[in-house]
Amino acid sequence: MNGSFSTRMLRTIAAWVVVAVFFFPIYYWTSVAFKHGNDIFNRPPKLIAFTPTFDNFQKVFGISLGSGGITVTPGGGNFYMAPRVWDSIVIATLSTVLAVAIATLAAYALSRMNFRGRHSFVGWVLSTRMMPPVAVAVPMFFIYKNFGLIDTYTGMVLIHALMNLPLAVLLMKSFFDDIPSEIDESAIVDGASRFMIFRRIVLPMAKGGIAATAVLCFIFSWTEFLFALTLTTTSVKTVPVVSSTFVTSIGTAWGNMAALGAASIIPAFIFILLVQKHLVRGLTMGSLKQ
Amino acid sequence: MRVAKARRFVVSDHPLPWLLPLVAILLVFTVYPLIYNIWLSFHEFVPRRRALEFVGTENWVQLWNDTRFWQSLVITFTYFAIALVFELVLGMAIALLLDSDGFGLGFLRGVLTMTLVIPPAIVGMMYLLMEDPQFGVISYLLQSIGLLNPNNPILATASTALAGVLVAEIWQWTPFMVLIFLAGLRALPPEPYEAAMIDGASSFQIFRRITLPMMSKVIAIAVLVRGIDLFRVFDYVFVMTSGGPGASTYSLSLYAWQQTFSFVKWGYGATLSLVTLVIILVIANLFIRIAKVRW
Repeated sequence: MNGSFSTRMLRTIAAWVVVAVFFFPIYYWTSVAFKHGNDIFNRPPKLIAFTPTFDNFQKVFGISLGSGGITVTPGGGNFYMAPRVWDSIVIATLSTVLAVAIATLAAYALSRMNFRGRHSFVGWVLSTRMMPPVAVAVPMFFIYKNFGLIDTYTGMVLIHALMNLPLAVLLMKSFFDDIPSEIDESAIVDGASRFMIFRRIVLPMAKGGIAATAVLCFIFSWTEFLFALTLTTTSVKTVPVVSSTFVTSIGTAWGNMAALGAASIIPAFIFILLVQKHLVRGLTMGSLKQ
Repeated sequence: MRVAKARRFVVSDHPLPWLLPLVAILLVFTVYPLIYNIWLSFHEFVPRRRALEFVGTENWVQLWNDTRFWQSLVITFTYFAIALVFELVLGMAIALLLDSDGFGLGFLRGVLTMTLVIPPAIVGMMYLLMEDPQFGVISYLLQSIGLLNPNNPILATASTALAGVLVAEIWQWTPFMVLIFLAGLRALPPEPYEAAMIDGASSFQIFRRITLPMMSKVIAIAVLVRGIDLFRVFDYVFVMTSGGPGASTYSLSLYAWQQTFSFVKWGYGATLSLVTLVIILVIANLFIRIAKVRW
């Protein structure tokens, strides 16, 4: 809306201040990652004037920035977390691939084919999104135990794919709905099979939508906590779960935890910026188009 | 011959081959656990005999008489309501503020996106440090302006612990509302606003009579999506307070999880998680009906 120059100026300043308030915790957390122990435990809290250090990153990732450039020293140390980051990446990537593959197939049928009970089917998919993780994790724990899936990639990939399926199906359906079905129909007249249309025409046209869906699935798997906490023990662990284990009997390793946290945000943030165009649609499971 | 027939079916217009993988995984991972949960809620693990035994409706009777359960139900609803109101109001206010062509709007929106990609468990740890009574920056700020007694740590005092958790929750998810509302505001048609300007309506009137009604669908969807997650809250309370002090931050999900995994009350934990599920399904589906949300 219009207004005088000064009111517009005031609005802009207010907007910057509000966003700065929201950004502050992220800044503070990142600063902790670069602090020595005594700077973290200083009172009043040190916000700007502290001596930066890479010790925390060095301990957590086994990477040091010495005079001879970057040296990597894997292994050792209680807080060496690179394998846990790897676990997170493997689980998030594989579960995303699985969820997106299953979801695009189903979403195409839900978008293009008219069959009885289609609406109730969509409703059922949506209602599985409402299941509290704890109601799935409790029985899954016993089932996984019987099948030896506790603490395995397979188990985590399956459960995260399941968790993301409702979102992925509804979201992909909304992207397919955007592609005019006349394209399919004219191809059918030309003698193409459904699967050929799907693979050769519809999938390439929905590339952006698939990317957005994949990014959201990746992020939700990356940030998931309850399943990872319940269904893993020692050999597979994701970043959110190990973060909560930095609290030890001799105190909390805040600096190391912050280093892990700060580093783990960066890839997810880059991904989400890449699909910002479809972000709101994704966050609302396909029901709001930008 | 049979292969050819199967092949024709797979490439036919029938939706079944397309939906089969989805249906299979949803049956195995949601319907089966549901049935297992119901079965488990009529059994209990007996440590003495290291086995599950049939206990009839004992778990359900216990649930009815369990003050901890009712308390956690109240806490979950309180958390749900307070967080939702704050996130909606703050989200709308910030979205209105950002809905201009001011300098750097795209940048600000990008910054707000950042909170959404941080694992909630890590956000919980962040606020655990910031609310630490000795060296936490939030505690320090509140203490220095006299709003907080240094002897009452935020997260270890029954009256303030839930607020301490809610701060993390609201910080992380208000931007979610802002992004959705901002997209909604940008999609509104300009004509009603022009007409209102000519009629000399105040900006509050414009918001109340034009913006809010036109945004009702967007708001309904935001409430539904966020509301479902709010009711299942687990991560923040687990890492920040573990339900304490006393039982002042026990959410239903946390209570169910602890009964199962910390106290080996498998049957009772299943009963609690079933109740959580039923409440969410009923409320969410009622809301979908009333608000006429469609997918």
